[in-house]
Amino acid sequence: MKNHRFQLAALIAVAMLAGCSTLPASDSPLALARNEYNDAQANPQVTSLAASELRQASDSLDKANKASTKGEDRAVVDHLAYVARQQVAIARETARQKAAELAVANASRERDMVRLDARTREADAAQRSAELSQRQSEAAQRSAEASQRLSEASQRNAEDSQRQATAERLAASDAQMSAQAARRQTEEAEGRARQLESQLRDLEAKKTDRGMVVTLGDVLFDTNRAELKPGGMRNVQKLADFFKQYPQRRLVIEGFTDSTGSNTRNLELSEKRANSVRLALLDMGVGTERITARGYGESYPAAGNDTAAGRQLNRRVEITVSDDGGKIAPR
Amino acid sequence: MNNPFGSRWHATSGAVGCVLALVAGCASVPPPTEQMAVSKSAIANAVSAGGSEYASVEMRSAQEKMDRASRAMGKEEYEEARRLAEEAQADARLAEKKAQSAKAEKAASVTQEDIRVLREEMNRKTK
Repeated sequence: MKNHRFQLAALIAVAMLAGCSTLPASDSPLALARNEYNDAQANPQVTSLAASELRQASDSLDKANKASTKGEDRAVVDHLAYVARQQVAIARETARQKAAELAVANASRERDMVRLDARTREADAAQRSAELSQRQSEAAQRSAEASQRLSEASQRNAEDSQRQATAERLAASDAQMSAQAARRQTEEAEGRARQLESQLRDLEAKKTDRGMVVTLGDVLFDTNRAELKPGGMRNVQKLADFFKQYPQRRLVIEGFTDSTGSNTRNLELSEKRANSVRLALLDMGVGTERITARGYGESYPAAGNDTAAGRQLNRRVEITVSDDGGKIAPR
Repeated sequence: MNNPFGSRWHATSGAVGCVLALVAGCASVPPPTEQMAVSKSAIANAVSAGGSEYASVEMRSAQEKMDRASRAMGKEEYEEARRLAEEAQADARLAEKKAQSAKAEKAASVTQEDIRVLREEMNRKTK
């Protein structure tokens, strides 16, 4: 009986102690849980980013507090306090995770902004540079065209303005040189081709498979004579001027006759006439190595020999101009 | 040792406390099968989130408590098993969260570094 009373007293003491434990020791799990929960609640990052996790922790802490107030078994209170502490820690980690995720999202946005900014700057720069070269090339083009027109006009004027025309062309080349390199080269090539064509047009040159061909008609020679008449000389002078300008070009002079008279005589006459044109060009300063002269007699007629008009067309001297490489296809 | 209170009232309240203690200790609690399953899956989630690498302490604690809970189940100590399983679940969830937050912070610092490098490059290019 004495033993039984002792047991009862011990139980009562335990119950009383449990009932009094609303203020647990400062290092008890419940006290730690309360402190940690208060810290977490004071942290704005946790309250804003892990509100629901913090609420779970709060519920668990309430349970632990109630168990402690009701004087439940120490193991029960400690267990509930432990769970509450872990949930506070979960709330803290959740807040850290979300903050880092927000930082990543912000950083991605920032990175996109930086990239966009860079691309915009590059595009702007490219645009500016394109516009600038466009303006430059347009200006150069205009100036080149103006000079070109001027130069062509001067050249068409007359032989005595040749020097002036050359100066104009030089001015044109200078202006063109300031344009973009590629553009300039094309322009120059085109300009030269146009000039050449216009000059040859003045000489009534015809384009053939072998090159540009200038035909000197029979009116430039007296019948059966090989000496050039003054009218012929004028045309030859134009040719000479042309060849002085284009020293890389060669020429072939070919004489032809109609079928009247003996073959031998015609061959001789055509050769002589071709040669007198050659001599005239040599006199005007065209290098001898550039000129070839030949007579073909009545071969290669340009028209029929049965009419007077056809025969007149056949009596002729043809001057074929080589390309820039100095080549002429053989007949 | 004598009863320090001695009065009848105190004897009655002592008896009530004794009954409560008996009820708490009584094994009529059903086995916490559901809690065991929940805790096991929490541990599995934590492992696949990288808990062993990023939160080894919590991970070990969860697994150890889970083992103890299983042993308690075997001994039909269901109350003890439930508590251990609950704590194991809390540990596992914390381990999972720690792994996730560590990874997120790593990603954030990598991205910040990317931007820093990008900016540097941009500044060099435009200069």
